[in-house]
Amino acid sequence: MERLSRRSFVKIAGAATGAAALAAAPPIARAAVGEEEGQPTNATTGVPEEPVVAYVRSVERGEVTVTSGTAEHTYRDRALVRRLMRAARREVR
Amino acid sequence: MSSHREAPGISQDPVADNADVYAFVSPDDPTTVTILSNFVPLQGPAGGPNFFEFGDDVLYSIFIDNDGDALPDITYQFQFRTTLQNEETFLYNTGPITSLTDPNWNKRQLYDVSVIYEKGRGNGNGKKQHHEQDGTGKVIGSDLACPPCNIGPRSTPNYDLLANAAVHQLPSGETVFAGQRNDGFFVDLGSVFDLAALRPFQNLHLLPMAAAPGVDPLKDLNIHTIAIKVPISMLTRDGSVPSDPLSAVSVIGVWSAASRRKVQVRDENGNGSKGSGPWVQVSRLGNPLFNEVIVHIGDKDRWNAVDPIDDAGEFESYVNQPELARLLPVLYPGVFPHLAGYTKDRADLHAILLTGIPAGIVPGFQNFTGSRPADMLRLNVAIPPTPAGSANSIGLLAGDAAGFPNGRRVFDNIVAIELRAVAGLTIPLVDPSYTPDAAASLLEDGTAPGAGRYQSTFPYLGTPHDGYHTPSS
Repeated sequence: MERLSRRSFVKIAGAATGAAALAAAPPIARAAVGEEEGQPTNATTGVPEEPVVAYVRSVERGEVTVTSGTAEHTYRDRALVRRLMRAARREVR
Repeated sequence: MSSHREAPGISQDPVADNADVYAFVSPDDPTTVTILSNFVPLQGPAGGPNFFEFGDDVLYSIFIDNDGDALPDITYQFQFRTTLQNEETFLYNTGPITSLTDPNWNKRQLYDVSVIYEKGRGNGNGKKQHHEQDGTGKVIGSDLACPPCNIGPRSTPNYDLLANAAVHQLPSGETVFAGQRNDGFFVDLGSVFDLAALRPFQNLHLLPMAAAPGVDPLKDLNIHTIAIKVPISMLTRDGSVPSDPLSAVSVIGVWSAASRRKVQVRDENGNGSKGSGPWVQVSRLGNPLFNEVIVHIGDKDRWNAVDPIDDAGEFESYVNQPELARLLPVLYPGVFPHLAGYTKDRADLHAILLTGIPAGIVPGFQNFTGSRPADMLRLNVAIPPTPAGSANSIGLLAGDAAGFPNGRRVFDNIVAIELRAVAGLTIPLVDPSYTPDAAASLLEDGTAPGAGRYQSTFPYLGTPHDGYHTPSS
């Protein structure tokens, strides 16, 4: 529920967060220049209106599924799977 | 129940639980077909302050197959959104609600309707998963208002006025309504699920008790209905309004479904959850009681997730050898000897539920959609509505071809019809050597709809019970 119309909010949120960008980008998320990769941190925002979600579908096959909007794509990316699995074992310090 | 809480998964998700589907030639507008699809079952009318509503995060779909391939040619999609007028109160309404724009009405729902026409399209594996195609449909109605729930005489003093205002004529030709109604399905749930001890006949049960009248626990409960009335010419494959019941063009298949986004991410700050990914079907319904009574419990969630075109094979086998037909002779010793001895596949049920009844079985009637087995409600639109005074709630089994299993009217006695069919009454249609047991034509659960359950005009389900008077002391 919201007072703002859902469509306008989605439009604003999408523009602000670049929500659709990940699906169109190469599957491996790249760290920003100068930013250390894979450092645990606390979330700084709430859940975006249209979250882009990546989950490891198969560790053995190195498959990652990414959902964005109403799309879903599965990639074979063993390096990304290794990073995600390492991240899954870490804790915020 | 027809499909109220019929599967383990969907029983935990009421707003997506597709409880009933009806499809019939509109009795007061016979050049149109009305399709009703019900959700959010078993509503206690006093269930405030957050009264019942559709899910903002659910995609509701109505599918129509008009060429017999068990794939949707027309899909209507409905998506809702809830708005609050005043966050500084705990109340659903802060005074009487006298119109759909009344400032006293705090928590409201609006919806959009879209349509997808996909005649003849397949994606290579023969499937057309319209629930995965959100956004590709043509929007034919937007920001349409639902009525409020029926709160009581102070809050909703003229409920029918509000409900009538929520009937929307769309420029594209359809008429739609979405909101709370009286649940039209009637059944003695307590007896059915207490080892099928049908109250009128429980003296004959394996564990006998004195015979007693049936009890309908749904008679005081409400439901949420999505209703759409469509000109017949917009539903048939060639755009005609058929008059020959034996023409293949006259038959349409109807089912509906609810889908949720594949991923839900819950916000830790209480701002609800956000969806991501394609729509995944979580509830489906064509023929009443199909998933509830025919499909085995371990497969019910999977049945909800797949499409009618997937019904061939395992689900088909449940129809061919229904568990209930084996149970009846055990639960009622000596009452169903012929049924007990019948071991052939049930070609009668296969036709009624999965292919439609071919021409030549019931004189002047057919609703056959081809040999592909698929659970759809099949409606022959060339059969005119039976006048109210002569309509028979036992439908086709009683010679009233305008009733179930030719589509389904709101007042059709589904429990009695399907009990009788499963008990063998319809076997002679396809196997003349079989003589039904005498009890097969008498089976029922002792319930009747009672007054106020229905109305003679769209959306045909009656005014919902109000929370102040229901249940009565």
